[in-house]
Amino acid sequence: MSMSDTPVLRLTGAAFTHPGGGGVTGLDLTVEAGTAIALIGPNGAGKSTLLKGVLGLVPLTAGTMTLGPTETSGADAAAGASTTAHARDGMIGFLPQSSELDPDFPISLEQVVMQGRYRRLGFLRWPGRDDRAAVRRALDTVGLTALAKRRFGELSGGQRQRGLLARALASEPRLLLLDEPFNGLDQTNRDALVDTLRTLKQRGVAVVVSTHDLELAKEVCDFVALVNGTQLAFGPVDEVLTLGNVQECFDGVEVEIDEHTLVVPGHEGH
Amino acid sequence: MTLIDALFGAFALPFMARALLVMLVLAVVAGVVGVLVNLRGLEFISDGLTHAVFPGLAIGLALGGTAGLVPGATVAALAAAVVLTWLDRAGITSDAAIAIVLTAMFSVGVIVVSRGDDYASELEALLFGRVLTIPPESVVPLILVCLVAVVAVAVTMKQQVFRAFDRSGSRAVGDSALALDLTLNAAVALVVVAAASTVGTLLVLALLIVPGAAARLMTERLWWLFPVAAGFAALMAWLGLAVGFAGSVAGGVDLPAGSTIVAVFVVGYGVVLLGRWIADRRRGSAVRAGGLETRPTPAGAPRPAETGAPRPARAGER
Repeated sequence: MSMSDTPVLRLTGAAFTHPGGGGVTGLDLTVEAGTAIALIGPNGAGKSTLLKGVLGLVPLTAGTMTLGPTETSGADAAAGASTTAHARDGMIGFLPQSSELDPDFPISLEQVVMQGRYRRLGFLRWPGRDDRAAVRRALDTVGLTALAKRRFGELSGGQRQRGLLARALASEPRLLLLDEPFNGLDQTNRDALVDTLRTLKQRGVAVVVSTHDLELAKEVCDFVALVNGTQLAFGPVDEVLTLGNVQECFDGVEVEIDEHTLVVPGHEGH
Repeated sequence: MTLIDALFGAFALPFMARALLVMLVLAVVAGVVGVLVNLRGLEFISDGLTHAVFPGLAIGLALGGTAGLVPGATVAALAAAVVLTWLDRAGITSDAAIAIVLTAMFSVGVIVVSRGDDYASELEALLFGRVLTIPPESVVPLILVCLVAVVAVAVTMKQQVFRAFDRSGSRAVGDSALALDLTLNAAVALVVVAAASTVGTLLVLALLIVPGAAARLMTERLWWLFPVAAGFAALMAWLGLAVGFAGSVAGGVDLPAGSTIVAVFVVGYGVVLLGRWIADRRRGSAVRAGGLETRPTPAGAPRPAETGAPRPARAGER
């Protein structure tokens, strides 16, 4: 894992806009290797849009985005340039919010994880020794080695989620994007995921995780970006996760906070 | 006639040997492509392609005789593959819309055929195939069409399976959904072309759908699906031709070859289904008898069915 001085991801005045309208604006944030940032905000705040924008699935419509050594500006994107090349190189790993996967699909866990290598392999090459080793490492990282041969649909929801994380890791990404990875997880799988994220940071992976779970942000993240349609604050966890900031971010959506059992600092043990 | 004669001797006849060669190649390719059709749930689009190919066959026949069949069908099928891919991407998945387009094309085909002199027999040949009277000069084009289909699928195989399993995941790593869909639909179209001139446009679907469905019953191992489906299809094609020959020559029953092949495919599927049912029952009773369960549930792990529930009782755990 190269530990260069340049940040893995930098957004400057960036906006990502869906072709049909709607999106997220005013993004100014930096993610260094070996650090994790939490994206916090209510539902519909644009957290998923931001992650998909970094992946190149939603166009950059203003400002600039720097991924590793490559800079893209909103003007480039308007001219049709795409950032998916980064995902192609395997630089970015992505764990989607929910995957509607057919539980009857005849595929084993290790075959799902191997899909993380496909982009490197391209169309004609089939997996070789290096790829199998990368799959074993990824399964080991998420703690699912024992279930490698199990059919994916037979795994529990939390195990599937960790399996998909292993798939994202198999490409050996420098930047890992996770969209609400803790939704619906039981305590065991949540703890396993927290451990995995800490391990990845130690290995120098840059992590961006969107979450409703402020506890989690404190446990694994170094920085927080508060987002609600636009970026409200960005900085170290302790400075940004203040009661005032969080209330401003979630203004008018208290119902959502309750529904997601959001823990507001100073109000723990509700 | 002995069994050996029906299974082997019959194929010493040149027309039977031609039929066997084309059917074996077609069966293997249809089996491989059919697994992807099954995994992607593309049965309806495949059905659409079989209808769309019909006017192509008819126009090809009208313009170039039997030599025009394969080129005419190929053009029509590839055009239809592009249109169906576009309909799918545009979100027009209404069965009514697709059905209207396809029946319209089918009627165009019938009208074209009806302009010819020998309306009834031409129509019958296009609908039900002419596997025993494949002209020698058509063998190479048919095999080429099959090879193009299987190469298109083989080159994109990993990415096709990825997309079948996880659409959004495939898009997120940068795979082009359009390119993959066009490739697969074109491959299906080419199989339909080759099959239309052998078992006919109405029966083609069985060759694409049955082997994949049978393979799903026989194995849950992903990469075994393809050889299993191809092997099943090849075996059924061979048996189908042999049964048709034995029935017509020894039994005195004039069995139409294409329909007999399809009937044998369906019977083969029935046998596999029965075998699977028996295997499941045995495993089920072994579990009930105590102890022989092959896949124990890890204690405390939530079962897949429960996992859709959003954040159960998180507040209580704190």
